[in-house]
Amino acid sequence: MNPRPYVEVTDLKKVFDVSKPWLNRVLEQSPKQYLKAVDGVSFDIKKGETFALVGESGSGKSTVAKMVVGLLGVSGGEVTIDGVSMTDKNQAAQRAKLRRRMQMIFQDPFASLNPRWRVDRIIAEPIRAFSVVEGEAEIVARVGELLTLVGLHPDDGRKFPHEFSGGQRQRVAIARALASNSDFIVCDEPTSALDVSVQAQILNLMRDLQEKFGLTYLFISHNLAVVRHMATRIGVMYLGRLVEVSEAKDMFTNPRHPYTRMLLDAVPDLAMSGRQRIPVAGEIPNPITPPSGCTFHPRCPLANERCVVEAPRSIDGVACHAVVEGRKLVIPAAA
Amino acid sequence: MNEPVISVRNLQVEFVTRRATLRAIDGVSFDIARGEVLGVVGESGAGKSVTGAAIIGLIEPPGRISGGEIVLNGRRIDNLPPDEMRKIRGRKVAMIFQDPLTSLNPLFRVGEQLIETIRTHLPMNERQARNRAIELLTEVGIPAPEKRIDGYPHEFSGGMRQRVVIALALCAEPDFIVADEPTTALDVSVQAQIISLIKKLGRERGMAVMLVTHDMGVIAETADRVAVMYAGRIAEIGPVRDVVQRPLHPYAKGLMGAIPTLEASASRLVQIPGSMPRLSSIPTGCAFNPRCSEVFARCHVDRPAPLPVNGRRVACHLYDQTSAEIFSAEASR
Amino acid sequence: MSDLAKPAPVEAPAKLKITFKERVALWRDSDLWLSFKSSPVAIVSATVTLLIVILALMANVLAPQNAFDPVALNLLDGFSHPMERGAGSGMLFIMGSDEQGRDLFSALFYGTRLSLVVGLASVVFSMVVGIGLGLMAGYLGGRIEMLIMRVADIQLSFPAILIALLIFGVARSLIPPQQYETTAVIVIIVAIGLSNWAQYARTVRASTMVERNKEYVQAARLMGVSGFGIMARHVLPNVMGPVLVIATINLALAIIEEATLSFLGVGLPITQPSLGTLIRSGQKFLLSGEWWILFFPAMMLVILALAINLLGDWLRDALNPKLR
Repeated sequence: MNPRPYVEVTDLKKVFDVSKPWLNRVLEQSPKQYLKAVDGVSFDIKKGETFALVGESGSGKSTVAKMVVGLLGVSGGEVTIDGVSMTDKNQAAQRAKLRRRMQMIFQDPFASLNPRWRVDRIIAEPIRAFSVVEGEAEIVARVGELLTLVGLHPDDGRKFPHEFSGGQRQRVAIARALASNSDFIVCDEPTSALDVSVQAQILNLMRDLQEKFGLTYLFISHNLAVVRHMATRIGVMYLGRLVEVSEAKDMFTNPRHPYTRMLLDAVPDLAMSGRQRIPVAGEIPNPITPPSGCTFHPRCPLANERCVVEAPRSIDGVACHAVVEGRKLVIPAAA
Repeated sequence: MNEPVISVRNLQVEFVTRRATLRAIDGVSFDIARGEVLGVVGESGAGKSVTGAAIIGLIEPPGRISGGEIVLNGRRIDNLPPDEMRKIRGRKVAMIFQDPLTSLNPLFRVGEQLIETIRTHLPMNERQARNRAIELLTEVGIPAPEKRIDGYPHEFSGGMRQRVVIALALCAEPDFIVADEPTTALDVSVQAQIISLIKKLGRERGMAVMLVTHDMGVIAETADRVAVMYAGRIAEIGPVRDVVQRPLHPYAKGLMGAIPTLEASASRLVQIPGSMPRLSSIPTGCAFNPRCSEVFARCHVDRPAPLPVNGRRVACHLYDQTSAEIFSAEASR
Repeated sequence: MSDLAKPAPVEAPAKLKITFKERVALWRDSDLWLSFKSSPVAIVSATVTLLIVILALMANVLAPQNAFDPVALNLLDGFSHPMERGAGSGMLFIMGSDEQGRDLFSALFYGTRLSLVVGLASVVFSMVVGIGLGLMAGYLGGRIEMLIMRVADIQLSFPAILIALLIFGVARSLIPPQQYETTAVIVIIVAIGLSNWAQYARTVRASTMVERNKEYVQAARLMGVSGFGIMARHVLPNVMGPVLVIATINLALAIIEEATLSFLGVGLPITQPSLGTLIRSGQKFLLSGEWWILFFPAMMLVILALAINLLGDWLRDALNPKLR
């Protein structure tokens, strides 16, 4: 019997009102404009696993992450973490208790720490906010422990964020995320702003911590190679929809959705294996006026009339008519 | 043997600050031939952008070129007076910057910016320049260029904007282009398109291209040769296939091992301990010695000169005959 | 489930408090101090300001005469020239005396003190109001922001003096006449303060809007920190930079504004004179030859305002990260 998943996201939607100001609309006689940033996304995360959301700009992955932790209100759908609903108004009290256990690591190491606070105060904030430990001396000790855990020195607590490098700042952010004994951490492009060698350190650290404390990660990234290294299951998003969800090893050896395949082909080939590649077509369309039916159809080598009209439903983790109908792509022979 | 289009010898760039004089580039040498793409790769602080800026003549005080020479088509350009340099900039050397949003003036139509640049460097009237601009837009792959030439930058998507920036760089038929992180601000799928465009243009026009980036994958796809920079020096320079697949310099080895790939992964990425030294505290001897796993005594004392090894140049004592003996003597003790 | 297991014994936790000595050392190393030391203008204007402030604060002790105690005055001393001994009391009047025999030198001390007090207090008042409203407008957005900003816009389209006059007039109608004198200082502080809050609000709102989107604010929201807590503890320290510059320059303006109001007769009464009232009374005698009664208070006002302005200028350049 499968245990209930730790995080359940069901049919999540987010619509932004991007209409021009009222006066402009009246003068130009233009209608209100809405941006469907997230359009019906559903996935589960099991306890202790790393679920990655991959996509390019405009895919809505960061918006999903923010809705999962409650930084953004949802326009539709539900999020449930360990049985507690994030969207139901009546469960506010349980949500308050849940807050302690979920934290977020952000992309920009410069903006994610208050430049005017010393590092020890930054890390101690969740400890104090949730009264995890009482007493000044205990808090000091705990902050020192956390700093050591992420590979820094307890004395570093007295410094300001600008005295650290990007990678070290990200370590501080990780220490802060762990400070309240959280077990669910949402990571929004945590290494995108870091150099490659620093990225390696941070990714290794995150994996070690996951092993040690049984953490569950929701990992957002646009970098498929990084995701390959970190994730157990992966969801690929395009223009606000989840087009494919697979186990990590399956996705890289056998991508099913044409967009997944295109993404993989677009990744620069470090091994220079000269592998067969489908040339990449077009660019991401304007999310305010997305294409009809399956939003990927203008760029899809397998598109047919049905794709233009009907948005595919997700069946067995893939939302694609071609997969359902068994249409295959013929890769042109290498020149 | 073809003369290289651009030849940099022992370039040194310093920044004079209140507290100290920092050497951002310390003895960098390389050549780029016609139609060749040299990738310059390194992490933040390695000095790759400064190298590009120095060649274009965009180093502003408190920075200055304090040594070495830059030779373009046989002519020295590092010591030219500003107006001479201005004539060269755009006409013979062009630069593509990272952010297409800020590289184009949002207030002017794309066509106006192209035509202005063309007419600055080439003797053409308005109509000739406009036709030329449309040709360029076609060459960089903008669909329906006759219509889009009158568009404003914000009406283009990110990838299209970068193509316009490339067209702008090509306006005056330069011999040499510096591309500073041209794909970093773009999505992965667009990145692939821009990479192949740069490669194609370099080859077709016989230009020398210096591609500066931190992304090794882009280098592997685009470059013919690659220079790995560390703390203002070149650690290893050679054909891209060799350096990427069989790196010799310990830093290059660490770098390649730290990059996650799409293939089945090892459980841990290679981790180089520590971080790149600040310019104010570059170690004596080899700049990499505090972090190197194969360090030995000589590394703390002598700065390694680039040594020829198997068709590349590696700045590492491990490949020096004399020190190799010392090393193995130490190891066997 | 995931309590942090105690790792191998960590050495005694380092003390988190920084000692005063270390703080001073950090300050001396900072860019701000270096910039100050290398700017002669800043050093001179800071010294001048400090000197004036000290002298003004010690008015009771240093002034040869309590200029506003009618008992201490001797009418026969009236209109003494600078550096002349008074005909009545024989006291040396360094800067001369006015028509009532008041020593201008002493009056200057007391007047400057009151001007400084009113100036500082009104600046603090407008800072508190302006920063508070600016934070709320920037952080909360929506209708609150619109309301606050519209009020600020309307206010900024009036000259500050007119607003101060308006508030003064309102106060006059509300306060019973017997209490005019006792409340005069408060009224004028409030009047000047309320006429100047809008610029703080604008700057703080703009900075708050930038900071509000930064990830450290989002991290705090995730922890459940209240809106007020975020504004006060996280955002406020980060928006104070431009505020300090505005405050310094505003101090000079507030002092001049007070002088103007007193000069117009709607400021402080003669029993609690500031530089403005001194100038007002001195103006009567300018053309009849007793120039010193106007000259010295006016010079003091100019020097004070200039010194503070120059200090504010230096501060703005020193704090501007782009110029470093």
